[in-house]
Amino acid sequence: MTRAGKTSMLPASDTAPSAQGAAATARRVTAPGPRDCERRGAPAGREDKEDGMGEERAKRGVSRRSFLIGAGTSAAAAAAVGTGWLGLGTAAARPLPQAVPERGRSTIQLRVNGFTHTLEVEHRWTLLEVLRDKLGLTGTKLGCDRAECGACTVIMDGVTVYACSQLAVFADGAEITTIEGLARGDDLHPLQQAFAELDGGQCNYCIPGQIMAAKALLDRNPAPTLEEVREGLAGNLCRCANYLHIQEAVLHASRLLRGEATP
Amino acid sequence: MSQQLSIVGKPTPRIDAVERVTGRAKYTWDIQLPGMLYARVLRSPYAHARIVRIDTSRAEALPGVRAIITHENARARWHSGDTLHERLIFNNPVRYAGEPVAAVAAVDRHTAEDALELIEVEYEPLPFVLEAQDALRDDAPLVHEDGNVANGRPVVYERGDLAAGFAEADHIVEATYRSAYHNNAQMEPRVAIALWEGRNLTVWTTTQGVSNARRDIARDLGLPQSQVRVICQYAGGGFGNKNNNQDYDLMAAFLAKLTGRPVRLEFTRHDDFIGLHGRWSTEIHYRIGAKRDGTLTAIDFRAISNMGAYMKSTGMVANFELYTCPNVRAETTRVFTNRTTSANLRSPAYPQGFFAMEQTIDQLAYELGIDPLEMRLKNHTRLYQDRIPYTSNGLEACLREGAELFGWRESWRPPNSDPGPVKRGVGLGLGCYPAPLGLGSAIVRVNTDGSVQVLVGVVDIGTGAKTTMGMIAAEALGVPWSSIEVVNGDTTTTPFSIGESSSRTTVMTGWAVKAAAEHARQQLFELAAPLLEATPEELAARDNLIFVADDPARSIPLPQVASRAAEAIIGSATTNPELKDQARMSFAAHFAEVAVDTRTGLVRVLRYVAAHDSGQVINPLTGESQVQGGVLMGLSQALFEEMSWERRTGRPIKTGYHFAHVLTHLEAPPIQVHFVDVVDPYGPYGAKVLGEPPNTPVPGTIANAIFNAIGVRVREIPMTPDRVLAALRSEDA
Repeated sequence: MTRAGKTSMLPASDTAPSAQGAAATARRVTAPGPRDCERRGAPAGREDKEDGMGEERAKRGVSRRSFLIGAGTSAAAAAAVGTGWLGLGTAAARPLPQAVPERGRSTIQLRVNGFTHTLEVEHRWTLLEVLRDKLGLTGTKLGCDRAECGACTVIMDGVTVYACSQLAVFADGAEITTIEGLARGDDLHPLQQAFAELDGGQCNYCIPGQIMAAKALLDRNPAPTLEEVREGLAGNLCRCANYLHIQEAVLHASRLLRGEATP
Repeated sequence: MSQQLSIVGKPTPRIDAVERVTGRAKYTWDIQLPGMLYARVLRSPYAHARIVRIDTSRAEALPGVRAIITHENARARWHSGDTLHERLIFNNPVRYAGEPVAAVAAVDRHTAEDALELIEVEYEPLPFVLEAQDALRDDAPLVHEDGNVANGRPVVYERGDLAAGFAEADHIVEATYRSAYHNNAQMEPRVAIALWEGRNLTVWTTTQGVSNARRDIARDLGLPQSQVRVICQYAGGGFGNKNNNQDYDLMAAFLAKLTGRPVRLEFTRHDDFIGLHGRWSTEIHYRIGAKRDGTLTAIDFRAISNMGAYMKSTGMVANFELYTCPNVRAETTRVFTNRTTSANLRSPAYPQGFFAMEQTIDQLAYELGIDPLEMRLKNHTRLYQDRIPYTSNGLEACLREGAELFGWRESWRPPNSDPGPVKRGVGLGLGCYPAPLGLGSAIVRVNTDGSVQVLVGVVDIGTGAKTTMGMIAAEALGVPWSSIEVVNGDTTTTPFSIGESSSRTTVMTGWAVKAAAEHARQQLFELAAPLLEATPEELAARDNLIFVADDPARSIPLPQVASRAAEAIIGSATTNPELKDQARMSFAAHFAEVAVDTRTGLVRVLRYVAAHDSGQVINPLTGESQVQGGVLMGLSQALFEEMSWERRTGRPIKTGYHFAHVLTHLEAPPIQVHFVDVVDPYGPYGAKVLGEPPNTPVPGTIANAIFNAIGVRVREIPMTPDRVLAALRSEDA
């Protein structure tokens, strides 16, 4: 295990100072334990006793409360079969999966906000899931999960990416900055100061993403024009539509960073 | 009109700004509990179908799956999901493509998703109907057994004599307008985490009101309210669609009960677009008569609202609230179809209604040769429904001051003045939103160190309500802003709040906060009176001092008084003021300049002025955010957003942010916000409402500016390039 290179105080929601600690934490909160994974693809009908919560009853829909009422199935004739939302047109013809495919796992290393984490991830996990669910860095938000809204914007190797649309395995070895990496304790980054002062966000759910996009913009262009701010943040939606205050805040932050304004 | 105020009315950054800009604020989507299961929902691909059989055995056999619920084993009525019919959390038949069919709880979200694929559902497709006009035909498929028209008949309002009004008119204008369904699309997806501890249920949920969510969850599950706790401290927007409880709250509660584990039920963004609701689409017909001088004589309004499959909101359409006219009739027909259910989206009945009304009034003005501004000044509402006085009415001030700021008289030119191909034009439009009084509750605790905690049930969905509540308490107590802490959004630790919907929090809960703070202040005055050798009635508080009102030199620091109390002083209040024979309304007048490219049909908004009467604005900083945001949301509705349904399959298309064309940074024009100086006699410090008025005038304002630019009207929103081009090619052009 690589020891994290820093001894300074951690950002508030960073969970562990060492990669070892982080991995351990990750295991504790990870729902599918290794045991569960190994058993993927096992014959159908196996019983997983992990929680011993009487799930056999649960699965059969036996009611425990008066509001859980069993009801018989209708006997009407069938005209079509659907198995889900996608593939509707071919639903009737498509064979159902006969077995659960093996889920690949790999060990990756991420350097997040200056701390190194070694993690075992499923190949299908996104970077966003790993940041939020495994490292507890919930400042990066999920909005659409399909690269349309920008709420999950983080900086990866100096470039903004949508963490919802990066597979964690492909981020192996990357240097990542999230919103938690900007403030040092109570010392806010000038962008955060400007957003707080000028009311950059309303519900603020998109704001971590807006700030990360703005940070990447100011890193490469310390004195942007309004037009450049608009273009730099065009990939970040705000449904409260607080765009004008966001743009003002970014311009104000750029002045703060250049020493041309005071908080 | 200005009041002597220390904190209210001063631009104040949000009380939780640091939590929000650092990512430390915990939204519901961020909540994780030990041992938590993840749940996902399977939805019907059919617009209308009977479920013949559901086989969940394959899904249950998938390792990691813990429980599956369907209409067969999880029956609960979702009362607020349909106020007319019995709507369950899982219905058979399903009435729209996207209606929930099953929910799966598993050890992680991927397993839950995999399990959805393994559920076999046999559907018997039924005939379906998508358009309101089609649903009104005699041979239309029935969405509900009791017919496709809600309550079997339209809602009608009338006053005066319509026929006499039209007989009196010198000029009559008649036109039909359409508005599209569009989704709320709040940034935080929907999620509920349910935890049972013995007989007690706790639900963390993305809601706009913990109190009404608790009431509804308890009712739907047959539990006493005392056994249900609902928590939501930070919500990533709502815009009306997180009112009351939601089906996901109930599904999570079922799955948590069945598994004995906390269950987190997540709706994907796709679930959000197809499964829950946006604003109802409408078809609006107007016939309006006026005298030569512009005086309105008759208004005939007919609207049809497409409610989708269930009656989750009123389906009403705003019409002539903004105008004085003795002879009117309004008929609104709410129609069921096999579309995604529609319900509240920020000022639910208004922007589409005023889009039609403001264009018709504008058309009358132009055809009578009257300046559109003069037309409004002449006819704007003086009495609510021509009968009931307003507590305050700043509409004329909005018109005059807004026009001045915009430079209306200098900017206005006759329609179609530019040679093109890009033509500029200006337009104006009015808006309003009711500001009723009502039930509120609050606790204000003054600690012995002089710090203050304000306990309110509000959820801050982005309106800044936490900050507003704190500012009201600070003002009433006379303590500095830095002394205030606000505790919110938990039915166990905070008192009732009406819910952050319908723009009610500032007025209703704010009124209670003021009363609770005054209750605490009274107790401080009683402690201070002997120290200042005065009676409590002679005292006042300001700037953290308690002093004799007539002799401010006789003062004592407020924390010093608080420190003499045996323990924290608790002020509390539940208030429910009523208005008698008066109406309260917030008003707005908006002005826009647009450029229309007649080659492409593309509309660009160049500048915008929004003048508002919301009474005393408690926090002008967050108030400006709300107005700018409301204008841009209205702009997005006016120009871009539309969800539609594929006619052959009945499935929704143009779902998700990309296809919904939600407005981005690039399309936001400069917006000047102006609050006129009105202090209402009611409401805390004279505040009216602000959350919903800002988007009400926008589509009408933009449409009128487009007309001024190109000399032809676009009568359907969104006013997309194809519709602008079609208007340019029509015979009107």
